[in-house]
Amino acid sequence: MLPGRPKTKIPMKKSLLLLVTLCVSYSAMAQKLVSRDTYVHFFSETPVEDIEASLKDGVGLVNTETKEFVFQVNIQSFTFEKALMQEHFNENYMESTKYPKGLFKGKISGDVAFAKAGTYNVKLVGTMNIHGKDRAMTIPATIAVSKEGLVVLESTFIIKPTDHDVEIPSLVVTKIAKEIEVKVKSTLRAN
Amino acid sequence: MKRILLALSLGLAASAWAQDDLLAELDAIAPPAPKAYAFATFKGTRIINQQSVELPAAGVGQFVIGHRFGALNDRPLYNLFGLDVAQIRFEYSYSPVAWLNYGAGRSSGSKTYDAFAKVRFTRQSRGPGFNWPVTTAYYTNATVVTTPFTDGFEHFFSDRLAYTHQFLMARKMNEALSLQVVPTLVHFNLVQTMDESNDQWGVAFGGRYKLTQRMALTAEYLLRANPLDQTRNPLSLGIDIETGGHVFQFHLTNARSMADPQWMMQTPGSWSKGDIFLGFNITRVFTHKAPEFR
Repeated sequence: MLPGRPKTKIPMKKSLLLLVTLCVSYSAMAQKLVSRDTYVHFFSETPVEDIEASLKDGVGLVNTETKEFVFQVNIQSFTFEKALMQEHFNENYMESTKYPKGLFKGKISGDVAFAKAGTYNVKLVGTMNIHGKDRAMTIPATIAVSKEGLVVLESTFIIKPTDHDVEIPSLVVTKIAKEIEVKVKSTLRAN
Repeated sequence: MKRILLALSLGLAASAWAQDDLLAELDAIAPPAPKAYAFATFKGTRIINQQSVELPAAGVGQFVIGHRFGALNDRPLYNLFGLDVAQIRFEYSYSPVAWLNYGAGRSSGSKTYDAFAKVRFTRQSRGPGFNWPVTTAYYTNATVVTTPFTDGFEHFFSDRLAYTHQFLMARKMNEALSLQVVPTLVHFNLVQTMDESNDQWGVAFGGRYKLTQRMALTAEYLLRANPLDQTRNPLSLGIDIETGGHVFQFHLTNARSMADPQWMMQTPGSWSKGDIFLGFNITRVFTHKAPEFR
């Protein structure tokens, strides 16, 4: 150390306090459950044509303390049976260059103990953002907590393209369902 | 200093508790946005006659039927604006992988058979790391003319052959506008006169402008460096209509033949004299090998 330079020493008491607050902030982080491989599948059924697609790289975050959650998918991750369907889905319907993400955030309503093994029927109350358009939604979900502490959230719900300003021209109106069934399975782990 | 540090760590703890920054945390754990590749630069694998940088997707086969009716100035009322006399082309191609497509076709003009391949090299993209500004591809085609020679000379089979090579470069400028430039070489094994070159060079230009989600205007032109006698540069104007599984392309062109060497380098028709042909291409794709998606 160069002579004359002021010493930067934190007193014992204060450094202890510092350590404690750091630990608190760390433990607060640890109350989050994270999923990086959330599976999302949707199915549009009409007498003319069935269309389905899925992805398995959705991300999710659940705060076990506040029961808040947020799930997000990249629209362009959806893979279809037919490549042309996928192109039309991205280009003509979802406009995924403009609106690249789908988002659902809100709060879990109902009893769930993330630390205790069991299956819990809950409701997810939140805002669904698809095609840049918000829509308030309440959807049923089950949360299964295993003995090992693995949390699996599953839900099936309906999305209406018209609710999110997705335009369906009259030419293909018989091929795309007015109500599209969406299935989600998300395995959440402590971060 | 110490106080600032203390306040900072307290602040950190508080923010971690805070409820509304779950979204910010999600951004931290979410994988970085993947490279966004330009898709649907053109609606079809051809703009009109000219190949585009588009290929059918991996595992997908594509059937194309093309029609070119008679000239609008050839006794238009008697021939109902050319509808009575049509030339037809059909072709089928397959993409075993996303960057390769090959196929064969037959055009009724000069009863021409052809085999072709298209290879994509780069894809225009946006995102982290290096991004290509253009999508590029190489297209090649070999044709055999099967009508009999009428010049009274003896000919080899090889006299019937011609080869096309094109280097396609296209950029999706924005959601609506895409432009393409294509250096082109056509090699004819046999040309009509000693003065004509067997190697015909040119640069093709093409573009499309989307009017709606399912309709676009298209145009293409081939500027030639050393044209054959009594031929003109082909110019075509068209409209693309997409209806789910099909793409319909309607157009007006001075090139009636659909075999590559013929429409590119052997177009006799002139727009100004009214040698204009109404035509259409219909494209239908068939998925042979679907991707894993469930």
